[in-house]
Amino acid sequence: MSNLLVLRERLRMLYAAYSVYILKILQFIMGLILFGTINANVGFMQTASSAFCTIGLAVICTFFPMIVMVLAGAALTLVHFYALSMPIAVVSLVIFLIMYIFYFRFTPGKAWLVLIAALAFGMKVPFIVPVIFGLLGTPVWIVPAACGTIAYYMIHFVKASSAALQSAGAEGMYESLMSFTRQVLTSREMWLMVMTMVIGTLVVNTVRTRSTDHAWKIASAAGAVVCVVVSAAGNILLNLNYSYAVIIVSAVLGILIGLVLEVMFFSVDYSRTEHIQFEDDEYYYYVKAVPKTGVPVPEKKVKHITGQQAADDRESGTDMEKDKMSLQEKDQVPVNSEKAETLKDRTTDEILLTRSLSKELGLDQEEKKTE
Amino acid sequence: MLDKKRIRLMARTAIYEKEHAEEDIKISTYYKKDYASLNTWITLIWITVGYGLAAGVFLLCTADSIMEGLTIVKLILLAAIALGFYLVLLIVYGIGAGNFYRKKYGRAKHRVKRYYRELSRLEKMYKKEKDRS
Repeated sequence: MSNLLVLRERLRMLYAAYSVYILKILQFIMGLILFGTINANVGFMQTASSAFCTIGLAVICTFFPMIVMVLAGAALTLVHFYALSMPIAVVSLVIFLIMYIFYFRFTPGKAWLVLIAALAFGMKVPFIVPVIFGLLGTPVWIVPAACGTIAYYMIHFVKASSAALQSAGAEGMYESLMSFTRQVLTSREMWLMVMTMVIGTLVVNTVRTRSTDHAWKIASAAGAVVCVVVSAAGNILLNLNYSYAVIIVSAVLGILIGLVLEVMFFSVDYSRTEHIQFEDDEYYYYVKAVPKTGVPVPEKKVKHITGQQAADDRESGTDMEKDKMSLQEKDQVPVNSEKAETLKDRTTDEILLTRSLSKELGLDQEEKKTE
Repeated sequence: MLDKKRIRLMARTAIYEKEHAEEDIKISTYYKKDYASLNTWITLIWITVGYGLAAGVFLLCTADSIMEGLTIVKLILLAAIALGFYLVLLIVYGIGAGNFYRKKYGRAKHRVKRYYRELSRLEKMYKKEKDRS
């Protein structure tokens, strides 16, 4: 555990030092995945689905806020839909507009969460979304989760019935418009997944905000189990063919991601929990205080011994001094190697424990005084 | 010599100017009630548009089943249900938007106050330095 905490501290330091570059790289990777997925699945317009366009859009979106990437993703999807069939592009535009009007007008900064939800479905790991959103967000995050699910299924439907839609002529426009709208709005699988996302996110968030011990772990596990139960039950009741492998693998992955998120964002030491009770004129207070676990990153001191220095030393020193030095070196070698061996034997846990104990007992200050 | 306090203050104000200042200063030109009610009305207009679009899509999807055996009573009932939904949506979003924009105004005003306070502190620091030199 302490190794993980040390790793977390290192990652934090790294992020603090290079946050601008790290964020931009992540944004670029997300852009590549997003535009690549859209072009790979519904790349009906050849010019827009080229690798040049994918990379170009990803690069451009890297230097703008995330909302631009969301808009670019929506625009690219609509362009491809338009190349396939105009009615489908119109219905999709209306659905995107409804999403904007009812939610994203209020929090445009959170629009990128839709991308996460849609991409998770595209990568066949849908149930990591309720765990991530429930742990890191608020109950309102069910809206982007649901919108992302709908956006993914829209693309999925178009991909599945692209041949039929392409062959429909001008007369079949109305028919294709009706059938696509019906397909989107009455898809049982889509609504089942929307329901699973919503229930899962709410369960994770509700459990996570409780004051029980290990709330984050319980929340991740409960959310994953709820997602599996709801989706499997729906699968059976509605006679759907949603893959059980995807359900189980994504739920397990959700739990693992939940554990990683706990280490990264919420590491506390439940063994040192304090329960305090006090009162004032109006209330009794029952306070539970759980200390955060933080470990100092062990500092590595690197001593540079350059060839130049050694050469200078050799030139300036007399023969006697050389002999002395060689004797000293001979003496030091086994001592150093012994030290290294003992250090190797001691685990990081022991080092950290010794440090924290010496800090608590004030031994480190005494050492400094004696020095 | 570099004044650490002043640099910190300058950095904080610069970050604020980059992130929120433009929008916050625009918001703080309104009175709280005016800002909240104006934006609530705008939201209600958007909701009306959104409801129209959603109803259109829904009608497109269920046109066949609705048109089957349509009577005047059924039509009136459908219209009443649609109107009921619309009113509920308006009330929910009206209350929600009112609260949302009032809170947004409060946060913006608080940040703008702090920003002006920090600017005046900076000004004082500069004056002090000038007097010393």
